[in-house]
Formats: sequence, structure tokens, C-alpha cells
Amino acid sequence: MKKLRIVLIFSILALAFAACSQGAEVPTDELTIQLWTQEGESDNALQYVTSLTDAFTTMYPNITFEVVQKDTETLREDFQTASLAGAAPDLLWTVSDHAGPFTTAGIIQPVDDYFDMDIYVPSVVMNGQTWGVPISSGNHLMLYYNKALIAEPPADTDELIAKAQELTSGDQYGIVYNMTEPFWLAPWLGGFDGSVFAEDGVTPTLNTQAMIDTLQFMYDLKFTYGVIPESVDYDTADTLFKEGKAAMLINGDWSLGGYQELLGEDFGVAPIPMVTSTGKYPAPYTSGKYFMFPKDLSGAKLDAVVKFVEFATNEENQLNQLNTLKRLPGLKAVLDNEAIASDPILAGSAKQMSYGVPMPSVVEMRCIWDAIKPEQNLVLAGNETPVDAAAAMQSAAEACILQLE
Amino acid sequence: MTINNPTYDSSVEKPQKTKARKKSFFHANRGDSTFKRTIIHIILIGYCLISVYPLLRIFSVSLRPGNRVLSTDLSIIPPDATFENYRIVLFEQGLLQWIWNSIAVTVTTAIIGLIIAATSAYAFSRYKFKGRSTLLIYLLTTQMIPTAMLMVPLYILAIKLNMIGTYRGLIIAYSVTSVPFSIWILKGYYDTIPIELEEAAIIDGASPLQAFFKIILPLSTPALATTFLFNFSQAWNEFLIARIILGSQESILTWPLGLNRLMGQYLVQWGQYNAAAIIVSIPVMILFLSMSKYMISGLTLGSVKG
Amino acid sequence: MFNFDAFLKSLSEIGSTILVVVLIVVVLEALLYLILVKWLKVKNALVYMLVSPAILGLLLLQIYPLLWEGYISMTNMSLSHFFNYSFIGLRNYVRVFTEPVLKQVTFLPLLWRTILWTLINVFFHVTGGMILALLLNRDMKMRGVYRMFIIIPWALPQVVAAMAWRGEFNYEYGWINVMLKQIGLTPVQWMTSPTPNFAAMCLVNIWLGIPFMTVIFLGGLQSISGEFYEAAEMDGASNWQKFWKITLPMMKPIMTPSIILGTVWTFNNFNIPFFINQYELESSDILVTALFRAAFEYNRYGFSAAFAYVIFFILLIYSAIYAKTTGALKGVKD
Repeated sequence: MKKLRIVLIFSILALAFAACSQGAEVPTDELTIQLWTQEGESDNALQYVTSLTDAFTTMYPNITFEVVQKDTETLREDFQTASLAGAAPDLLWTVSDHAGPFTTAGIIQPVDDYFDMDIYVPSVVMNGQTWGVPISSGNHLMLYYNKALIAEPPADTDELIAKAQELTSGDQYGIVYNMTEPFWLAPWLGGFDGSVFAEDGVTPTLNTQAMIDTLQFMYDLKFTYGVIPESVDYDTADTLFKEGKAAMLINGDWSLGGYQELLGEDFGVAPIPMVTSTGKYPAPYTSGKYFMFPKDLSGAKLDAVVKFVEFATNEENQLNQLNTLKRLPGLKAVLDNEAIASDPILAGSAKQMSYGVPMPSVVEMRCIWDAIKPEQNLVLAGNETPVDAAAAMQSAAEACILQLE
Repeated sequence: MTINNPTYDSSVEKPQKTKARKKSFFHANRGDSTFKRTIIHIILIGYCLISVYPLLRIFSVSLRPGNRVLSTDLSIIPPDATFENYRIVLFEQGLLQWIWNSIAVTVTTAIIGLIIAATSAYAFSRYKFKGRSTLLIYLLTTQMIPTAMLMVPLYILAIKLNMIGTYRGLIIAYSVTSVPFSIWILKGYYDTIPIELEEAAIIDGASPLQAFFKIILPLSTPALATTFLFNFSQAWNEFLIARIILGSQESILTWPLGLNRLMGQYLVQWGQYNAAAIIVSIPVMILFLSMSKYMISGLTLGSVKG
Repeated sequence: MFNFDAFLKSLSEIGSTILVVVLIVVVLEALLYLILVKWLKVKNALVYMLVSPAILGLLLLQIYPLLWEGYISMTNMSLSHFFNYSFIGLRNYVRVFTEPVLKQVTFLPLLWRTILWTLINVFFHVTGGMILALLLNRDMKMRGVYRMFIIIPWALPQVVAAMAWRGEFNYEYGWINVMLKQIGLTPVQWMTSPTPNFAAMCLVNIWLGIPFMTVIFLGGLQSISGEFYEAAEMDGASNWQKFWKITLPMMKPIMTPSIILGTVWTFNNFNIPFFINQYELESSDILVTALFRAAFEYNRYGFSAAFAYVIFFILLIYSAIYAKTTGALKGVKD
């Protein structure tokens, strides 16, 4: 009986869905859609992907899915090679920065013709065309704090330093974050009014006062004020925060769930404090997960894929995603939903995201990361001055971009 | 120069042990003083500690609840030790499945590779034919190809042959890559077996193939074991080729791919990762330890006859 | 979570794979038999039949990719010329030697670093392996136990070992720095500074490589007849003299190939330099990791194919010279 009821509900849903959906017809042939995703199991995201595809297959039994999971870098490499061999999958569910290499190689197609992009958060636009449909947005850094150690998050960097100094003693630290990765430098760079690219979005602007100030600030936190331990990478920062040895932590939205579980009521989320000297909020990079369409996708498969993407990003499923994965939606309508406003953690995350800037997805970005990383580490090891580092970053980035051909 | 090769004697150590008393004065322990012996034991114990220490650390992390890779605590068994991570990887993650898959692929690979290599090596050892030395040198050069060089074309090849997501592609790839090195080990070993043994058999009416199966193969047990072990451990730990050929369907992954799933870009399930690492290391260690007595001077690349 | 269906499925797939392999071999052998024995009446037909499965497999899996790479190395294929690449002759090979191969480092400094890495590692593998083998090559208590423990790094999967060591090099929590602090020395930035990071790579790889040499050398030592030492003892030779005059020359046939292979493996070692270099310091890259990054992180397909060929040729030349001077390949010519 129960089974029958479920089938009934689903068929009603399907009917309602079919009635109000516009555009492409759902094909009636037997189709198998190969979907590649980089979502992993560890945060239940892969399970979420398959729950969507299964629900879709229940509505349209002639359309089945083969969900292939690959980790982020592998997905990029394999999709490139598979496209080269003419055996690309039918749909990608992947991170926004893949749009850069994929458009450069010409192996995905623009999606403007199939969707009304105005209903989504800003997507990847290059050469005047949109290259992906947002599934979720975020992936941004924010400030986490342990209420047992610090009652209120600091509002600006002066306050941050003052509070952190109070909290630092022995093996207790005021603030920790992964100092080795440029992804954690980017927010500060924005806060000091800098950007890695000039207006055109491809010319590196790393040798700037903003970069020097950023490096100096990071250096000062460690050496001048001594509020950050000698050498912190991701795992160290994570461990210190989890062990209650650090009052504040800068980390990404992917780790929200774990901390919330561990710290419970003591866990707080806030935007990274404003930079006092510029009056600007640090701007973490935001990105998200996107559907991308392989170049050769067409015909009945294309129709089916369009239908599926509409289904996966409809309001109901976007809300569902918010609740199960704690990820901010790709659909604008859901971003204003009270489910976000009423949850302090999600609200804090959403507020921080509003200060963020989209992470550039051009291929040149790889050179920027690779140029910043070693110099940043040299400065933070006390082996190079910020001025020299900024100059070295710029020349490394330029040399690298030149080689991309 | 001659070398008293262990050759066709699979129990090298035993005769030495029985003789040891008699010639130990000159050879094995050369009348070491107690002092010297103590020093030797201390050095060896010290080195053993260095050897196992990282393994103990892996074990230690695997016992920690939550997800703490680092800790200010240096003790091996943490105060809040638990086997929770083992339970999770074995019964909630697919580790048992992945290990089974690895065993299936690895054992098949090692056996196929060994059969192909054993017969080819016989030809290289016993016959002089056109192209023999070229082929032998070519086999050695294949060891010099960096794996990264083969990845893109192998992936394209696997797509064209419709072998993506199958064990078939993986087993064939592993077997073939193991062949050159195996041929060299086996050929080196066959070379040390006196040809007179076969000649005698052939005079008695055996065919060359019969001579090979009845005489050479049984005498080569140590070298075959060594080769098997090499092939096994290569395939067991292989990651790059498995990644491109198997893809990611959970039920067919080998353990290196499965373990890789526990690592996100920044977020790594360290406790589970290390618990799984301990579990997958056990079969290989048992195999290595049980077969280490066979690992004799099999690796001589056929140059012994100097 | 053990899926019984998947278990059956994998069994049947293994079975069918074996069947396919057997089928291919049988067809191949039958063909060869017909052609060589019945038709051409070649005298040594058995030989060709014996080696043909190996050769066929290698042709497919190694020659084809090599040819493909050879072709690509003469094109300007990259992300921006993904389908529409064109033939540019040997220009990529020139660029390997004239332009930065990764970010800023050029080929030659990278080659020297790789050679340094190889020399340091092989030196310690061989001396460490020899010392341990000599220590173990005697009648003693606990011999089996020692041997068991010494083998562990070899049996441990490389990536797992690399990850475990990476934790030990952590500035704050790593065992090494904790020890340094306890004896009053300044802790070292193992992960972020160039020289310590290179040293860390070497330490891990030395630790990994010693067991292989120990086992191989121990096998060799056991095969040296005691009579040689007896004779030397009669002549009043010291232990040191015995080692240089008897042990080492006797071990040469075993050491030479082990050193060639050890060198090639170390030169081409990917896991350790890649995983210990957590922060992608360019100063810790060796040739193969640079190749991997050029090919897969920067997608410079044409360039990296040429780069791969250069690495391949360097190893080829090294082995040829080494083999010639030491006579390791004498057996081949017999």
C-alpha cells in the first residue's frame, strides 16, 4: 500500500511539474544520462546527487542516470581527455572554476538558450555567454568563533588584534587560519582594496600596495602581534579550533557542519572583520557548483538534461539542498527564504557571502594561485619582505601566463 | 669470478644453518665478541624503531575519535582511544568491497603477468634468436618511461577499446606493465640453472616445453615467488592507472581509489583514512613477511656468469 | 557494507577477463604456429611463440602511447589549441631547454636537482642497505624479528607512508620538531622552506628505499661461499680488507642491476616529491613532478610530451653508459 501511495504522490507531482514547466518536451525514448560529479560522500553530497537523479527517474522512468563520481582535479583532467577522444559524458556537476579551462578548450556549450539566467545567482559569464547553471553558491571563507572563549566577534581588524592578543597565552591562540594557501589571502586582499586581476580580468595586478599591505598584515598578525602560532596549515588550524585552543578560525562553509556538531551552542559565525585602515570588508572568493553542458550534447539527450537541470534547481529541491547540505542555493528566490534568515549559522554565512566576490574562473587564475603561494609562504616564514614578494609574484604570474599560449 | 649461487635450491638458509656451527668461526658470526654483538643488536633495534614509528603514528591517529590528524599529544594510544573509525570504514564505507576488488585484480594480474613472463623469460634464457638482445634492452628501457607520460594516451586507448569502468582494462594494463621487470628477474634466474639438466631430460625423450615445465619451473620457485611478490605489490598500490580506467563507480573501486574518496580538497577524514590504511597494509605485510625467505638474489639481471 | 551482487559481478568479470586473455593467447599461438611452423618452417618457431604474448601486450600498451606522445610532442596542442592543434616540428624540444619548464625554473637547474635527489637517495639506500644486510648476515637471536620490522616501510603503501610522514614534518605537532624543541634547538619549517622541504623528501624516500636494498643484498651475501673468507683469514686479512676484497666484488653482479633500477626508480619517483611537497614549492619539484604539473595542471600537452621524451632519453643514456662501464648487460650478448 505504502509503495502505491508513494508512486501516486510522485505521479501527481510529475503531472503538476509537467503542467507548469515550459520549453522543451521530455523525450520518450529510453535514455541513459551519464552525469559526472565531483561531490564526495564524506559530506553526504554524493548521496544528495543520486537522490535527485533517482527522483527524476521515478518521474520519467525512460530516463535513467549513471552517476560517476570523480574528485575535482580528476574530473577536470578526465573530462578534457574524454572530450578529446569524443567520449564525453552528458552532464557535469562541478565547481565554477572549471568553466575557465573548459571554455578555453571549447568543450562545453553556453546555456543561455535553454534557461532564463535571471532567476539564478550570477553565473560564469565569459565572452558574453553564460557557461553554467548554478546549483549552489558559497564555498566562501568566514569567521568562526568559539563562544566559550570569545563572546562577541570583533567588528574590525583593530578589535580583532586587541581581542586576539588578550586571548593568546601559552598554547592558547586568538585566531588561526590556514596561512599557507592563497585562498586564505584573497579575502584580505579584497579588504585592502586590491584584486588579483585588472579590469580586463586576465592581466595580473599582484605588485600593488594592496598586496603589500595584505602581506604586511598577515606578517604582523604572526610576528608583530604574535596572535597566530608559528606555522599554521589547514590541519593545524582545524585541530587547534577543535581542541578549543583557538578562539577564532577562518575557514570555509564546507566545514560548517563539523564544527557545529562538535561545539554546539558555543559555535558562532560572523563575517571576517572589516579592515580598519580602508573601512572595507574582506572579500572572500565565492564560487559554487554548476551544471555544465558538454559541447556535443544535443537532441533528445539535451532535452532530457535540460529537464533534469530545471528539476534539480527548482525551488523545492533548492530548499531541500539547503536543509540537507547546508549549502546556499543557486536560485535567487531561495536565497531570500526565511529558512536562511532564521538560522544564525546560515544567516552569518549568507551575510559573509554578500561581501564576497566571485572567484575568477579564467585559466590565468591557475597562474595567480601558483605565483602567490610560494611567496606568501616565504613572507610568513620571515624570509622575504612583502615588497619583494609582491614583485616576485607579479613576475611569476606574468611568466606563467605567457607559457599558457 | 664465480659466485656460489643459491640457484636451484629453494631452502638456501637451511644448509647454511646446519653447517653454521662448523664454519661459523670463519663465516657467519666470525666469533664476534659479546660487546660487538650488543652494539649490533642496539643498532638493529634502533633502526627497527625508525622503521615502524610512522606505522605506529598511523595507528595512533586511527584510534582518535572525531577527525584529528594532529594532536599535541605524542602518545601512541590516545586517552580517548576508540575503534569507531575501523567500524565506520569496514561497515559504513565500502572498504571491504574495495579490498576484495583489489585482491581480485591484483592476484589475477600477478598470475597472468607471471605466466607470460615465465614463458618469455625461458625463450630469452635458453635460445639465441634474431632480435633477442634488442628485445631484452627494449624491455629494460620500458622501466624508464615516466608513468605520467602514458596517462593521456592510455586513457584514450581505454575509451576506444571500451574498457572504461572494467577490471579487464586494468588487469591487462597491470599484467603487461609488470612483464618487462619480471622477465629480467626470471631470465637472470634461469641462467643460473645448468643447461645440462634439460639436455639430460631431452635425451630421455622430453620435448623442450616438457623440460621447461618439469625441470626449470620447479627449480625456479624462489624467483617465481619474488616476481609474484613484486607484481602483487605494484598492482596493489597502483593509483594513477586505476584512476583513469576504473572511473569511480563505488562497487568496482580498488582500495587506493576508495581511500582517496575520504580526502576532500581541504576536508580529510583523517581518522578513517588512517584506519583504512592500517587495514590495507596488513595483507601486504603478511605476504611480504611470509615470502621474504624466498626473496633471495633473484635480482641479478642475468649477469652472474662473469 | 559488502555488496554481494558486486562481489559476484567482479568474480564473473575476472573470469571473463581470464577467458579473454587465454583466448587471445590461444589465437595468437595458433596463428603463429600456422605461419611459422607449417608455412614458413622457421627453425626456432617455439621461441617466437613463447615471447609473442609479452611482445603483443607491450606493443599495445607501451609502444602505442609512446608513438602518440611522440606525435603530440611535435604539435602545439594545449588547452587553447585543443582540437585545432598544428604541427610545429621540433620547436617544443627547443623550448624544453630554453624556456621555464614549470613556473620559473628552467630545465637544467631542474635536472641538477633531480640528479642530486637521485644521488643522495641511491647513496643512502645502498650504504644503508649494505650495512643492515651485513649486520643481519650472521647467526643471531631475533634475526627474523629484525628482518620483519625492517621490511615494513617497503610493505607499507607509498602514498600512505608519505601522508604519515607529512604529519611528522608539521611545524607545530610533528614529532621531529617536538624532539628538536625538547633538546633545545629551533624547530625547522619543514614544509614551507625550500631546503628543509627537500631534505624532508630525501629523508622519507631513504626510509622507504632501504628495505629493498637490504633484502636484495642479504640474499646476495648469503650466497657468498664461506671458503673465500676462510682463505682470506689464513692470509691474515682484516674485516675491512675482507669487505673490500671479497664481499664487494662478489656482490657486484647483484649490486649493479639493483643500482641501475634503484636509480631509475628514484629518478622517476613521483609519490614522495609530490606528496611531501604539500605547498607546491617549485624548489622541491623534480623532473617527473614538473612533468606531471606541466601536463595536467597547465595542460601544455605538446610541450609536456616533448619534456617527457627528454626525460626518457636522459634515463636511457644513463643506463646505457652505466651498463657498458660495469658490464651489467653482458648476459644479453651471450
